[in-house]
Amino acid sequence: MKRYAYYQSCINESMTKEVDRSIELWQHDLGIEMVKMHESACCGGSNLDYVSPKHFALVNGRNIATAEKQGLDLVVSCNTCLMTIRSAKKKLDESADLRNEINEILRKEGLEYRGTSQVRHLLWVLIDDVGLDVIRKKVKNPLSKLRIAPFYGCHILRPSTVLGKDNPLEPTSLDMLLDALGGKTIPYEHKNRCCGFHTLLVAEEESLNVAAEALQEAMEQKADCIVTPCPLCHTVLDGYQGKALKQNGIKGSIPVLHLSEVVGLALGYSDRQLGIKRHIVTV
Amino acid sequence: MKPFDIVIVGGGGAGLYAAMEAMKTNPGLNIAVLSKIYPNRSHTSAAQGGANAALANKAKDDTVEMHIFDTIKGSDYLADQDAVEVLCSEAPKIIRELDNMGTPWSRMDDKTIAQRPFGGAGRPRCCYCADKTGHTILQTLYEQCLRKGVIFFNEYFALDLSVDGSRSRGLVAMNIKTGKIEAFPAKTVIFATGGYAKMYWNRSSNAAGNTGDGQAITYRAGIPLKDMEFVQFHPTGLRKSGLLVTEGARGEGGYLTNALGERFMKRYAPEKMELGPRDLVSRSLETEILEGRGFDSPAGKYLHLDLRHLGADIIKSRLPQIREMCMYFEGVDPIDDPVPVRPTAHYSMGGIDTDNLGRTVMQGVYAAGECGCVSVHGANRLGGNSLLDILVFGRIAGRAAAEECGKFNPTSIPEGELAEKELELRSFMQPKGHYERYGALREELGHTLGMNVGIFREASKIKQGITDIERLKERFQHVRVFDTGDIYNTNLLQVLELKNMLDLAETVAAGALVREESRGSHTRTDFPTRDDEKWHKHTVYTMEGGHPKIGYKPVTMGRYELQERTY
Amino acid sequence: MSDSTIQHHEESRDVTFRVHRFNPQVDSKPYFDDYTIRLEKGITVLRAINYIKEHVDSSLTFRAFCQAGICGSCAMRINGMSKLACTTQVWDELDKAREPGVIKVEPLRNLPHIKDLVVEMDPLVGKMQKYSNWVDSKMPEEQWGKKEFLVSEEEFLAYDKATDCILCASCVSECTILRAHKEYVSPAVLLKSYRMNVDSRDSIHDQRLAGLVQDHGVWDCTHCYRCQETCVKNIPIMDAIHGIREDAIERRGTKDTSGARHAEAFMEDIEKKGKLVEATLPIRTNGLAWTLKNLLPMAFKMVMKRRTPPPPPLVKASKGIDALRKEFKEMTSHVGKDHEKKSGE
Repeated sequence: MKRYAYYQSCINESMTKEVDRSIELWQHDLGIEMVKMHESACCGGSNLDYVSPKHFALVNGRNIATAEKQGLDLVVSCNTCLMTIRSAKKKLDESADLRNEINEILRKEGLEYRGTSQVRHLLWVLIDDVGLDVIRKKVKNPLSKLRIAPFYGCHILRPSTVLGKDNPLEPTSLDMLLDALGGKTIPYEHKNRCCGFHTLLVAEEESLNVAAEALQEAMEQKADCIVTPCPLCHTVLDGYQGKALKQNGIKGSIPVLHLSEVVGLALGYSDRQLGIKRHIVTV
Repeated sequence: MKPFDIVIVGGGGAGLYAAMEAMKTNPGLNIAVLSKIYPNRSHTSAAQGGANAALANKAKDDTVEMHIFDTIKGSDYLADQDAVEVLCSEAPKIIRELDNMGTPWSRMDDKTIAQRPFGGAGRPRCCYCADKTGHTILQTLYEQCLRKGVIFFNEYFALDLSVDGSRSRGLVAMNIKTGKIEAFPAKTVIFATGGYAKMYWNRSSNAAGNTGDGQAITYRAGIPLKDMEFVQFHPTGLRKSGLLVTEGARGEGGYLTNALGERFMKRYAPEKMELGPRDLVSRSLETEILEGRGFDSPAGKYLHLDLRHLGADIIKSRLPQIREMCMYFEGVDPIDDPVPVRPTAHYSMGGIDTDNLGRTVMQGVYAAGECGCVSVHGANRLGGNSLLDILVFGRIAGRAAAEECGKFNPTSIPEGELAEKELELRSFMQPKGHYERYGALREELGHTLGMNVGIFREASKIKQGITDIERLKERFQHVRVFDTGDIYNTNLLQVLELKNMLDLAETVAAGALVREESRGSHTRTDFPTRDDEKWHKHTVYTMEGGHPKIGYKPVTMGRYELQERTY
Repeated sequence: MSDSTIQHHEESRDVTFRVHRFNPQVDSKPYFDDYTIRLEKGITVLRAINYIKEHVDSSLTFRAFCQAGICGSCAMRINGMSKLACTTQVWDELDKAREPGVIKVEPLRNLPHIKDLVVEMDPLVGKMQKYSNWVDSKMPEEQWGKKEFLVSEEEFLAYDKATDCILCASCVSECTILRAHKEYVSPAVLLKSYRMNVDSRDSIHDQRLAGLVQDHGVWDCTHCYRCQETCVKNIPIMDAIHGIREDAIERRGTKDTSGARHAEAFMEDIEKKGKLVEATLPIRTNGLAWTLKNLLPMAFKMVMKRRTPPPPPLVKASKGIDALRKEFKEMTSHVGKDHEKKSGE
């Protein structure tokens, strides 16, 4: 059983609880264990870095140091948390001054940022650690009937200097995983585009136009569902779907699933067990 | 359209400086800048090196006098000494003024503007911003013009000066986005359209649009051109694109090799080898190619610039931009393969004949920058003096036009002229039995110029070149424009640019033939030495019966006597 | 490898360029033309389409000027990504092509289309004017040219990288928000605004900043990083955008605009709970009236599905929140000292 320090994303503790619930269901089937980091703090959601760059480094240095103390890699299942914590790590790894400054503070709590733990997305762990072949063998209920539009979201791809796993122009990781689960991914221009989440409260009209475009393409391509590895993208594409489509005069609807849910479905869990019934758009 | 006080043709460094200075001189004037591209795209942006000015920030003993002497010597004594004095004494003021308006000059530890050494300069006086000097100067000037509310007519192609006897009524131009021909009646017109070295086409480092439009328009309107035969070549242009591989590559220890694998510079400069002076190295490469020791390819004959022995580390750390260029434009990584190079035309010393205020012989018509010829570069321009030229004389022309436009009465351009022009342009689109493609003509023009009026010149070859150009002009009568639309017709534009290049190519070749000496960039194998007695004078060209008629003008001398040019 | 090969043979192959065509004078809608030409390895996309124009179809229309990656004229979408045609190798694009041997070439997005691969640049120029994208010098014009400003290394480095921008508009074409609203300031103009605002020689910083925080300004950016990823000069454009936001919060306070209030909420919550309190985020960002009008209709469904975020008292603080609070305070005092040091200089 390979263990990971599992970062508690704020949104997965409030609005998208089904993400963590589904991971808990199937993690042992795949030989991994997500050890919840109850002491982790909000990453700042790609906002704290410009409100106060130093607090940003402190909070995320602390998050990573907590995982390091346990000798585990830090794993997240939210794109923005991933990008945010990784960019803090990059800044800390590049600047001894900054590292020293936060360590001076963290030391009092018995923590030290050393840069030994990697910061990874759940999707990457499934591909690189569990392995697609193992996953293929464990599939009980292949998603063979589904035409899936893979929606990667921004912060698992960009900035590539911080993420560096997929080619942001032609990402493949999510497609590969969905393929291993027996699903059929369709060519989807919006796969590497934006959902609009981060301006929802500041420029709602613009955000919903962005979301509507992504939804529209998936519907035009006759996808059965959209799958995303990011709960923020899910919140816009699912939660705001009705409003976005209405604003743009588009009829219809399309279910949006979390990555963790489709893994669960393929491994034989029911939609009720996985929390899929909690979605706004009926699946 | 309401008559303008000043219409400026061209939105590069010279045109934008002219516009800004004119607005500063008299904010009440009605000024317009016309440019066939968005001004921030102009070729000024390609100048990497910097601009010379005796600020004495780096070398405390540098003086304007020394800058003047270096420039005159560099020109092979063909520059007018009073004009050079203006250039060099205005230089420090210009550099500071650009700083005051936001140019991001590189700095020294004492926070003053940094300066670096440059070829032919006795002191490190070249002010720079990394390797993007021209780009940042152009951005600054464009930004300041936007700040001052200069009126821009972007993507307008200048066609003709409308002339009434001895004065101009203004400009006729085509709105590229609509195809409409429009009149720009103006008291004064300033031409700042850049150089003409693109006529060497694939053997030129210039932008596609450096086709000498302003020179061709004024030449056809009866205004004389000057010193057109002087075109500067750079030794290491990339084979396919003509783009420059800067001297840094040889400075770091790169080899030049021929098809036999020899470092051939041992024949020409056994001590300095690859680091010999630019004109000598250019001539050496050309000799190797002419004597059959080059490589052959569909894109032409070439030699190798070999950096492989430097190793990946040095190439990556010291020559990253050169490596990037080779990879982007030639598809060659110099770590693994030698870079295909050959000499390339990159600067035109000649241009519209002007006085020290940018005035031409025609009242109300001015020229500045590479488009004009004051002359400050004579037979050969020094590195770091081209940006300076456009800035200093752009500014002077702008001020002169602003001060003098009040003397001229506003006029209008007869409607008939526009209609006539319209018919002329339309005629290119009429189906003809036999037709020519402009692309082929353009390539052949570049080829014959490169072969016959290039680095090495001699009477028989130049005559061949002149015959070729005449034939190309005849064939041009049959060129057909296949795009018959009005909107953004680049097919038509490129044909019109070709026409300009053909007219100017004739002057370059004619001047090269008459000048029976070798001076600066002009090398006659049949007259290998400088001949001051016969040829210490400017050539001047006027159009007669569609062809150049050559006259002469004395060189203005001053403090500096003629000397042999040695380094 | 032998050095004695005189004739240099290069790899060559047939390549198809699938080019977006549209001439509003004759076409009712855009279409694609396929041009298949034989090319030698080492050719750029621009040289290839130049060849097509010269030898195959003279009516094909695009902009190109310097052909050396510095003028910014030839930005277009190649295989779906905005970039300069003159610095893009055909062989590299063949590796990325969806259909083997076919390279798709289209005009930039988010700017009005003129013809084939040419788009209108005036809207971008208009925004540069609207946001005063120039240095308004601290020195009066009459004094210009007399003496230079003294600029330290640090001051210079603040704007150095941003001055690499060649206004090719690739980032404009890729921008998520501009696609959703054409009034949006756009990444290139934000970058230029930042470059001006950090220039120690400029005098209208506050005025420019006041413009940038208005509607369609800096707070509308959705941090998708597409601009930065597409930048042909590798300029970290998002850093500039974040830089303006940081500056806006520092100079104008956190209550200034909805964007600033939204960002500040994160700081508040982390200090209080270590967690984001999502339930009140809309109210804190936009006020109660906005929240009721915009979110109430959705709330019903959310409640039914038990998707509403918990109310503030029920948000459980992170474990170890006391330590975090203490550390947060300590860092706040560090930041305070930094500011003192900066203003003391």
